[in-house]
Amino acid sequence: MMPIDDHERNIDLIPASAFSFEELTDAYNHTRVDYMVPMPMNVNKLREYVDTYDVDMDASAVAVDGYEVLGLGMLGIRQGRAWITRLGVIRRNRRHGTGQAIAAHLVEQALQKGSDYIILEVIKDNTPAHNLFLKFGFKETRDLVVLRRPPGPPKIEAPAAEIIPMRYSGALDLLDRRVTTPSWLDEKESLINAGNLEAFHLTLADGSQGWMVYQNTVFQLGRIVIQTDKGDPINVGRALVHHLHSKHRAQDTKTENLPLTDPHLPVFRQMGYLEMFQRIEMVRSL
Amino acid sequence: MLYWFRNATRDLSKKSVGAKISKILIVEDNHQNALLMKRVLGARHHQIIHAEDGESGLQAAVEEIPDLILIDLGLPDIDGQTLVAFIKRVPELKNIPIVAVTAWPEETAREMAQAYGCDGFISKPINTRTFSDQIGEFITAD
Repeated sequence: MMPIDDHERNIDLIPASAFSFEELTDAYNHTRVDYMVPMPMNVNKLREYVDTYDVDMDASAVAVDGYEVLGLGMLGIRQGRAWITRLGVIRRNRRHGTGQAIAAHLVEQALQKGSDYIILEVIKDNTPAHNLFLKFGFKETRDLVVLRRPPGPPKIEAPAAEIIPMRYSGALDLLDRRVTTPSWLDEKESLINAGNLEAFHLTLADGSQGWMVYQNTVFQLGRIVIQTDKGDPINVGRALVHHLHSKHRAQDTKTENLPLTDPHLPVFRQMGYLEMFQRIEMVRSL
Repeated sequence: MLYWFRNATRDLSKKSVGAKISKILIVEDNHQNALLMKRVLGARHHQIIHAEDGESGLQAAVEEIPDLILIDLGLPDIDGQTLVAFIKRVPELKNIPIVAVTAWPEETAREMAQAYGCDGFISKPINTRTFSDQIGEFITAD
Protein backbone atom coordinates (compact mmCIF):
# COMPACT_ATOMS: atom_id res chain seq x y z
CA MET A 1 0.00 0.00 0.00
CA MET A 2 1.35 3.39 -0.98
CA PRO A 3 1.98 5.68 1.98
CA ILE A 4 -0.40 8.62 2.04
CA ASP A 5 2.49 11.09 1.92
CA ASP A 6 3.24 9.98 -1.64
CA HIS A 7 -0.29 10.46 -2.93
CA GLU A 8 -0.91 13.10 -5.54
CA ARG A 9 -3.52 15.35 -3.99
CA ASN A 10 -6.51 16.60 -5.93
CA ILE A 11 -7.20 19.78 -4.02
CA ASP A 12 -10.63 21.35 -4.26
CA LEU A 13 -11.46 24.54 -2.39
CA ILE A 14 -15.00 24.85 -1.06
CA PRO A 15 -16.39 27.95 0.67
CA ALA A 16 -16.41 27.53 4.44
CA SER A 17 -20.07 28.60 4.39
CA ALA A 18 -20.89 25.20 2.87
CA PHE A 19 -19.77 23.48 6.10
CA SER A 20 -21.39 23.41 9.52
CA PHE A 21 -19.56 25.04 12.42
CA GLU A 22 -19.20 21.56 13.90
CA GLU A 23 -17.36 20.39 10.78
CA LEU A 24 -15.20 23.50 10.65
CA THR A 25 -14.30 23.24 14.31
CA ASP A 26 -13.33 19.62 13.88
CA ALA A 27 -11.23 20.42 10.80
CA TYR A 28 -9.57 23.38 12.50
CA ASN A 29 -8.70 21.37 15.61
CA HIS A 30 -7.21 18.62 13.46
CA THR A 31 -4.93 21.15 11.77
CA ARG A 32 -3.67 22.28 15.19
CA VAL A 33 -3.10 18.96 16.94
CA ASP A 34 0.69 19.31 16.69
CA TYR A 35 0.85 23.08 16.46
CA MET A 36 3.66 24.90 18.26
CA VAL A 37 1.12 27.02 20.17
CA PRO A 38 -1.86 24.85 21.17
CA MET A 39 -5.08 26.79 20.64
CA PRO A 40 -8.03 24.44 20.14
CA MET A 41 -11.55 25.81 19.80
CA ASN A 42 -15.04 24.53 20.42
CA VAL A 43 -18.02 25.38 18.23
CA ASN A 44 -19.08 28.37 20.32
CA LYS A 45 -15.58 29.77 20.36
CA LEU A 46 -15.25 29.46 16.59
CA ARG A 47 -18.62 31.17 16.07
CA GLU A 48 -17.52 33.98 18.37
CA TYR A 49 -14.23 34.23 16.49
CA VAL A 50 -16.02 34.53 13.14
CA ASP A 51 -18.31 37.25 14.50
CA THR A 52 -15.68 39.20 16.39
CA TYR A 53 -13.20 39.34 13.55
CA ASP A 54 -15.67 39.76 10.65
CA VAL A 55 -14.66 36.51 9.01
CA ASP A 56 -16.36 36.15 5.62
CA MET A 57 -17.39 32.52 5.42
CA ASP A 58 -18.05 32.67 1.69
CA ALA A 59 -14.53 33.94 1.08
CA SER A 60 -12.99 31.49 3.55
CA ALA A 61 -12.22 28.02 2.26
CA VAL A 62 -11.91 24.38 3.18
CA ALA A 63 -9.51 22.31 1.08
CA VAL A 64 -10.78 18.83 0.33
CA ASP A 65 -9.77 15.81 -1.70
CA GLY A 66 -13.03 14.01 -2.34
CA TYR A 67 -14.61 13.55 1.09
CA GLU A 68 -11.36 14.10 2.95
CA VAL A 69 -10.69 17.50 4.54
CA LEU A 70 -7.08 18.56 3.98
CA GLY A 71 -7.04 21.95 5.66
CA LEU A 72 -8.74 25.31 5.89
CA GLY A 73 -8.16 29.03 5.89
CA MET A 74 -10.31 32.00 6.84
CA LEU A 75 -10.53 35.54 5.57
CA GLY A 76 -11.67 38.55 7.56
CA ILE A 77 -13.01 41.40 5.47
CA ARG A 78 -13.35 45.03 6.55
CA GLN A 79 -13.51 48.30 4.66
CA GLY A 80 -10.61 48.25 2.21
CA ARG A 81 -8.67 45.49 3.92
CA ALA A 82 -8.58 41.76 4.50
CA TRP A 83 -7.03 39.46 7.10
CA ILE A 84 -5.89 35.88 6.64
CA THR A 85 -6.39 33.74 9.71
CA ARG A 86 -6.73 30.15 11.00
CA LEU A 87 -4.87 28.80 7.98
CA GLY A 88 -3.82 25.25 8.69
CA VAL A 89 -3.29 21.91 7.03
CA ILE A 90 -3.88 18.55 8.70
CA ARG A 91 -0.52 16.99 9.46
CA ARG A 92 -0.69 13.99 7.13
CA ASN A 93 -1.61 16.27 4.21
CA ARG A 94 1.25 18.72 4.54
CA ARG A 95 3.88 19.31 1.89
CA HIS A 96 1.46 18.69 -0.98
CA GLY A 97 0.71 22.33 -1.82
CA THR A 98 -2.50 22.50 0.23
CA GLY A 99 -1.42 25.53 2.28
CA GLN A 100 -0.27 27.27 -0.87
CA ALA A 101 -3.58 26.59 -2.63
CA ILE A 102 -5.58 27.93 0.31
CA ALA A 103 -3.38 31.04 0.61
CA ALA A 104 -3.69 31.75 -3.13
CA HIS A 105 -7.46 31.39 -2.90
CA LEU A 106 -7.69 33.79 0.05
CA VAL A 107 -5.54 36.39 -1.72
CA GLU A 108 -7.79 36.13 -4.77
CA GLN A 109 -10.91 36.46 -2.61
CA ALA A 110 -9.46 39.57 -0.93
CA LEU A 111 -8.88 41.09 -4.35
CA GLN A 112 -12.42 40.29 -5.46
CA LYS A 113 -13.79 41.90 -2.30
CA GLY A 114 -12.02 45.14 -3.20
CA SER A 115 -9.39 45.06 -0.48
CA ASP A 116 -6.39 47.37 -0.85
CA TYR A 117 -4.19 45.17 1.26
CA ILE A 118 -4.10 41.91 3.22
CA ILE A 119 -2.73 41.58 6.70
CA LEU A 120 -1.90 38.46 8.70
CA GLU A 121 0.16 37.24 11.63
CA VAL A 122 2.42 34.22 11.81
CA ILE A 123 3.73 32.82 15.05
CA LYS A 124 7.42 33.53 15.43
CA ASP A 125 9.52 30.47 14.56
CA ASN A 126 6.74 28.95 12.48
CA THR A 127 9.18 28.91 9.57
CA PRO A 128 7.04 26.99 7.04
CA ALA A 129 4.14 29.45 7.38
CA HIS A 130 6.48 32.43 7.41
CA ASN A 131 8.19 31.25 4.23
CA LEU A 132 4.85 30.54 2.56
CA PHE A 133 3.71 34.10 3.06
CA LEU A 134 7.05 35.58 2.02
CA LYS A 135 6.64 33.58 -1.19
CA PHE A 136 3.24 35.24 -1.68
CA GLY A 137 4.80 38.68 -1.45
CA PHE A 138 3.91 39.51 2.16
CA LYS A 139 6.34 41.84 3.96
CA GLU A 140 7.04 41.85 7.68
CA THR A 141 5.81 44.97 9.43
CA ARG A 142 6.39 44.41 13.16
CA ASP A 143 6.65 41.92 15.98
CA LEU A 144 3.71 41.52 18.35
CA VAL A 145 3.61 39.91 21.76
CA VAL A 146 0.93 37.90 23.55
CA LEU A 147 0.91 38.42 27.31
CA ARG A 148 -0.78 36.78 30.28
CA ARG A 149 -1.03 37.60 33.94
CA PRO A 150 -2.45 35.42 36.70
CA PRO A 151 -5.06 36.94 39.03
CA GLY A 152 -4.01 39.01 42.00
CA PRO A 153 -3.45 42.57 43.11
CA PRO A 154 -0.49 44.57 41.79
CA LYS A 155 2.75 43.66 43.51
CA ILE A 156 4.51 46.97 42.89
CA GLU A 157 3.51 50.50 43.77
CA ALA A 158 2.38 53.12 41.29
CA PRO A 159 2.14 56.92 41.47
CA ALA A 160 -1.11 58.33 42.88
CA ALA A 161 -3.53 59.33 40.19
CA GLU A 162 -6.93 60.84 39.60
CA ILE A 163 -9.03 58.21 37.86
CA ILE A 164 -12.07 58.92 35.73
CA PRO A 165 -14.06 55.80 34.78
CA MET A 166 -15.54 56.02 31.29
CA ARG A 167 -18.81 54.67 29.95
CA TYR A 168 -19.00 52.52 26.82
CA SER A 169 -19.37 55.56 24.58
CA GLY A 170 -16.36 57.11 26.29
CA ALA A 171 -14.36 53.97 25.57
CA LEU A 172 -15.21 54.26 21.88
CA ASP A 173 -14.16 57.94 21.89
CA LEU A 174 -10.83 56.96 23.43
CA LEU A 175 -10.28 54.34 20.73
CA ASP A 176 -10.78 57.05 18.12
CA ARG A 177 -7.87 58.91 19.71
CA ARG A 178 -5.50 55.97 19.47
CA VAL A 179 -2.15 56.97 17.98
CA THR A 180 -0.67 53.49 17.53
CA THR A 181 -1.66 51.21 14.66
CA PRO A 182 -3.86 48.43 15.98
CA SER A 183 -3.57 44.84 14.81
CA TRP A 184 -6.70 43.20 13.40
CA LEU A 185 -7.42 41.65 16.79
CA ASP A 186 -7.61 44.99 18.59
CA GLU A 187 -8.99 47.22 15.87
CA LYS A 188 -11.98 49.22 17.03
CA GLU A 189 -14.29 46.94 15.04
CA SER A 190 -12.97 43.86 16.85
CA LEU A 191 -13.38 45.48 20.24
CA ILE A 192 -16.93 46.61 19.51
CA ASN A 193 -17.82 43.13 18.25
CA ALA A 194 -16.21 41.51 21.30
CA GLY A 195 -18.21 43.70 23.70
CA ASN A 196 -17.93 44.10 27.50
CA LEU A 197 -15.66 47.10 27.09
CA GLU A 198 -14.65 49.27 30.01
CA ALA A 199 -12.29 52.22 30.13
CA PHE A 200 -10.78 54.82 32.38
CA HIS A 201 -8.74 57.98 32.03
CA LEU A 202 -6.04 58.92 34.47
CA THR A 203 -4.11 62.05 35.46
CA LEU A 204 -0.97 62.01 37.61
CA ALA A 205 0.02 64.76 40.04
CA ASP A 206 2.56 66.13 37.54
CA GLY A 207 -0.10 66.51 34.87
CA SER A 208 0.80 63.34 32.95
CA GLN A 209 -2.22 61.67 31.37
CA GLY A 210 -3.23 58.41 29.80
CA TRP A 211 -6.08 55.97 29.33
CA MET A 212 -6.92 52.33 29.00
CA VAL A 213 -9.71 50.45 27.25
CA TYR A 214 -10.17 46.75 28.01
CA GLN A 215 -12.61 43.89 27.91
CA ASN A 216 -14.00 42.65 31.22
CA THR A 217 -15.58 39.18 31.24
CA VAL A 218 -16.40 36.81 34.09
CA PHE A 219 -13.22 34.77 33.77
CA GLN A 220 -10.82 37.12 32.13
CA LEU A 221 -9.64 40.64 31.40
CA GLY A 222 -8.26 41.21 27.95
CA ARG A 223 -7.99 43.20 24.74
CA ILE A 224 -6.08 45.96 26.54
CA VAL A 225 -5.49 49.18 24.64
CA ILE A 226 -3.17 51.50 26.55
CA GLN A 227 -2.07 55.01 25.66
CA THR A 228 -0.05 57.78 27.27
CA ASP A 229 -1.30 61.15 26.04
CA LYS A 230 1.14 63.24 28.06
CA GLY A 231 4.21 62.40 30.14
CA ASP A 232 6.46 59.38 30.59
CA PRO A 233 4.79 56.16 29.29
CA ILE A 234 6.46 54.14 32.05
CA ASN A 235 5.01 56.27 34.85
CA VAL A 236 1.62 56.66 33.23
CA GLY A 237 1.57 53.00 32.14
CA ARG A 238 2.42 51.83 35.65
CA ALA A 239 -0.47 53.84 37.09
CA LEU A 240 -2.84 52.52 34.42
CA VAL A 241 -1.93 48.86 34.81
CA HIS A 242 -1.85 49.22 38.60
CA HIS A 243 -5.36 50.62 38.62
CA LEU A 244 -6.61 47.85 36.33
CA HIS A 245 -5.41 45.10 38.64
CA SER A 246 -6.38 46.92 41.83
CA LYS A 247 -9.91 47.11 40.48
CA HIS A 248 -10.04 43.55 39.08
CA ARG A 249 -8.00 41.39 41.43
CA ALA A 250 -9.73 38.07 40.82
CA GLN A 251 -9.42 37.79 37.06
CA ASP A 252 -6.88 36.22 34.85
CA THR A 253 -5.62 38.58 32.10
CA LYS A 254 -4.70 37.85 28.51
CA THR A 255 -3.83 40.54 26.03
CA GLU A 256 -2.74 39.90 22.48
CA ASN A 257 -0.65 41.70 19.90
CA LEU A 258 1.00 44.44 21.88
CA PRO A 259 3.77 45.71 19.58
CA LEU A 260 7.20 44.69 20.81
CA THR A 261 8.22 48.35 20.49
CA ASP A 262 5.33 49.64 22.61
CA PRO A 263 6.79 51.89 25.32
CA HIS A 264 4.42 50.37 27.89
CA LEU A 265 5.72 46.83 27.45
CA PRO A 266 8.25 47.11 30.34
CA VAL A 267 5.38 48.12 32.63
CA PHE A 268 3.44 44.97 31.80
CA ARG A 269 6.51 42.90 32.60
CA GLN A 270 7.01 44.74 35.92
CA MET A 271 3.36 44.07 36.76
CA GLY A 272 3.75 40.32 36.43
CA TYR A 273 2.75 39.73 32.84
CA LEU A 274 4.38 36.74 31.17
CA GLU A 275 5.18 36.51 27.51
CA MET A 276 3.43 33.52 25.96
CA PHE A 277 4.70 33.89 22.41
CA GLN A 278 5.37 36.40 19.68
CA ARG A 279 3.79 36.91 16.29
CA ILE A 280 5.13 38.54 13.17
CA GLU A 281 2.67 40.81 11.43
CA MET A 282 2.90 40.76 7.63
CA VAL A 283 1.18 42.85 4.97
CA ARG A 284 0.75 42.59 1.23
CA SER A 285 -0.64 45.35 -0.98
CA LEU A 286 -3.11 44.30 -3.66
CA MET B 1 9.75 15.81 31.29
CA LEU B 2 8.32 16.37 34.79
CA TYR B 3 8.76 19.46 36.88
CA TRP B 4 7.29 20.23 40.26
CA PHE B 5 7.60 23.49 42.10
CA ARG B 6 9.03 24.18 45.53
CA ASN B 7 6.01 26.24 46.51
CA ALA B 8 3.74 23.31 45.76
CA THR B 9 0.77 22.87 48.03
CA ARG B 10 1.42 19.20 48.70
CA ASP B 11 3.63 17.94 51.54
CA LEU B 12 6.54 16.25 49.82
CA SER B 13 7.53 14.40 52.96
CA LYS B 14 4.32 12.40 52.62
CA LYS B 15 4.65 11.40 49.00
CA SER B 16 4.17 7.76 48.20
CA VAL B 17 5.04 7.05 44.63
CA GLY B 18 2.16 5.30 42.94
CA ALA B 19 1.22 3.49 46.14
CA LYS B 20 -2.12 5.13 46.77
CA ILE B 21 -5.24 4.68 44.70
CA SER B 22 -6.49 8.13 43.96
CA LYS B 23 -9.28 9.93 42.19
CA ILE B 24 -7.70 11.83 39.31
CA LEU B 25 -9.48 14.37 37.13
CA ILE B 26 -8.06 14.73 33.63
CA VAL B 27 -9.12 17.87 31.76
CA GLU B 28 -7.99 17.24 28.20
CA ASP B 29 -9.75 17.97 24.90
CA ASN B 30 -7.72 15.59 22.76
CA HIS B 31 -9.41 12.22 23.07
CA GLN B 32 -6.33 10.22 22.09
CA ASN B 33 -4.23 11.95 24.74
CA ALA B 34 -6.97 11.53 27.32
CA LEU B 35 -7.39 7.85 26.47
CA LEU B 36 -3.66 7.26 26.77
CA MET B 37 -3.51 8.91 30.20
CA LYS B 38 -6.59 7.01 31.34
CA ARG B 39 -5.07 3.70 30.29
CA VAL B 40 -1.70 4.35 31.89
CA LEU B 41 -3.17 5.61 35.17
CA GLY B 42 -6.01 3.10 35.12
CA ALA B 43 -3.41 0.33 35.07
CA ARG B 44 -2.34 1.58 38.52
CA HIS B 45 -5.99 1.32 39.60
CA HIS B 46 -6.50 5.03 39.99
CA GLN B 47 -10.07 6.23 39.52
CA ILE B 48 -10.08 8.44 36.45
CA ILE B 49 -12.58 11.14 35.60
CA HIS B 50 -12.29 12.80 32.21
CA ALA B 51 -13.56 16.22 31.19
CA GLU B 52 -12.96 17.52 27.70
CA ASP B 53 -13.13 21.25 28.29
CA GLY B 54 -12.72 23.85 30.99
CA GLU B 55 -16.37 24.24 31.89
CA SER B 56 -17.02 20.53 32.35
CA GLY B 57 -13.65 20.24 34.09
CA LEU B 58 -14.67 22.81 36.66
CA GLN B 59 -18.02 21.13 37.15
CA ALA B 60 -16.36 17.74 37.60
CA ALA B 61 -13.87 19.19 40.07
CA VAL B 62 -16.67 20.67 42.19
CA GLU B 63 -18.76 17.49 42.08
CA GLU B 64 -16.00 14.93 42.53
CA ILE B 65 -13.39 16.75 44.66
CA PRO B 66 -10.53 14.72 43.14
CA ASP B 67 -7.16 14.06 44.78
CA LEU B 68 -5.29 15.43 41.78
CA ILE B 69 -6.19 17.43 38.66
CA LEU B 70 -4.30 17.15 35.39
CA ILE B 71 -5.04 20.09 33.11
CA ASP B 72 -4.12 20.57 29.49
CA LEU B 73 -3.26 24.28 29.17
CA GLY B 74 -4.76 24.45 25.68
CA LEU B 75 -8.49 23.86 26.11
CA PRO B 76 -11.18 24.65 23.55
CA ASP B 77 -13.43 26.89 25.67
CA ILE B 78 -11.43 28.61 28.41
CA ASP B 79 -7.64 28.38 28.59
CA GLY B 80 -6.12 25.93 31.04
CA GLN B 81 -4.48 28.82 32.87
CA THR B 82 -7.84 30.49 33.38
CA LEU B 83 -9.28 27.24 34.68
CA VAL B 84 -6.41 26.82 37.14
CA ALA B 85 -6.88 30.40 38.33
CA PHE B 86 -10.59 29.77 38.85
CA ILE B 87 -10.07 26.49 40.70
CA LYS B 88 -7.64 28.21 43.05
CA ARG B 89 -10.43 30.64 43.98
CA VAL B 90 -12.81 27.88 45.09
CA PRO B 91 -12.23 27.13 48.80
CA GLU B 92 -13.13 23.43 48.44
CA LEU B 93 -10.71 23.00 45.54
CA LYS B 94 -7.85 25.36 46.17
CA ASN B 95 -5.63 22.82 47.96
CA ILE B 96 -6.01 20.07 45.36
CA PRO B 97 -2.69 19.62 43.53
CA ILE B 98 -2.86 20.64 39.89
CA VAL B 99 -0.42 19.46 37.25
CA ALA B 100 -0.33 21.14 33.84
CA VAL B 101 0.10 18.66 30.99
CA THR B 102 1.09 20.70 28.01
CA ALA B 103 2.68 20.86 24.59
CA TRP B 104 3.87 24.40 25.20
CA PRO B 105 7.63 24.93 24.89
CA GLU B 106 9.24 23.93 28.18
CA GLU B 107 10.26 27.39 29.36
CA THR B 108 6.82 28.87 28.65
CA ALA B 109 5.12 25.89 30.29
CA ARG B 110 7.25 26.26 33.41
CA GLU B 111 6.55 29.99 33.72
CA MET B 112 2.83 29.64 33.11
CA ALA B 113 2.32 26.65 35.37
CA GLN B 114 4.25 28.21 38.25
CA ALA B 115 2.68 31.66 37.90
CA TYR B 116 -0.85 30.25 37.88
CA GLY B 117 -0.30 28.10 40.96
CA CYS B 118 0.13 24.65 39.45
CA ASP B 119 2.13 22.20 41.50
CA GLY B 120 4.12 21.16 38.47
CA PHE B 121 3.90 20.38 34.80
CA ILE B 122 4.49 17.48 32.48
CA SER B 123 5.44 18.04 28.85
CA LYS B 124 3.52 16.34 26.05
CA PRO B 125 3.75 13.85 24.57
CA ILE B 126 3.69 11.91 27.81
CA ASN B 127 6.14 9.10 28.33
CA THR B 128 3.94 6.07 29.02
CA ARG B 129 6.77 4.31 30.88
CA THR B 130 7.26 7.08 33.42
CA PHE B 131 3.91 8.87 33.50
CA SER B 132 2.41 6.90 36.41
CA ASP B 133 5.43 7.49 38.58
CA GLN B 134 5.47 11.16 37.63
CA ILE B 135 1.84 11.43 38.71
CA GLY B 136 2.63 9.50 41.86
CA GLU B 137 4.94 12.37 42.83
CA PHE B 138 1.87 14.55 43.24
CA ILE B 139 -0.30 12.16 45.19
CA THR B 140 0.14 12.31 48.93
CA ALA B 141 -0.48 9.41 51.26
CA ASP B 142 -3.09 9.78 53.99
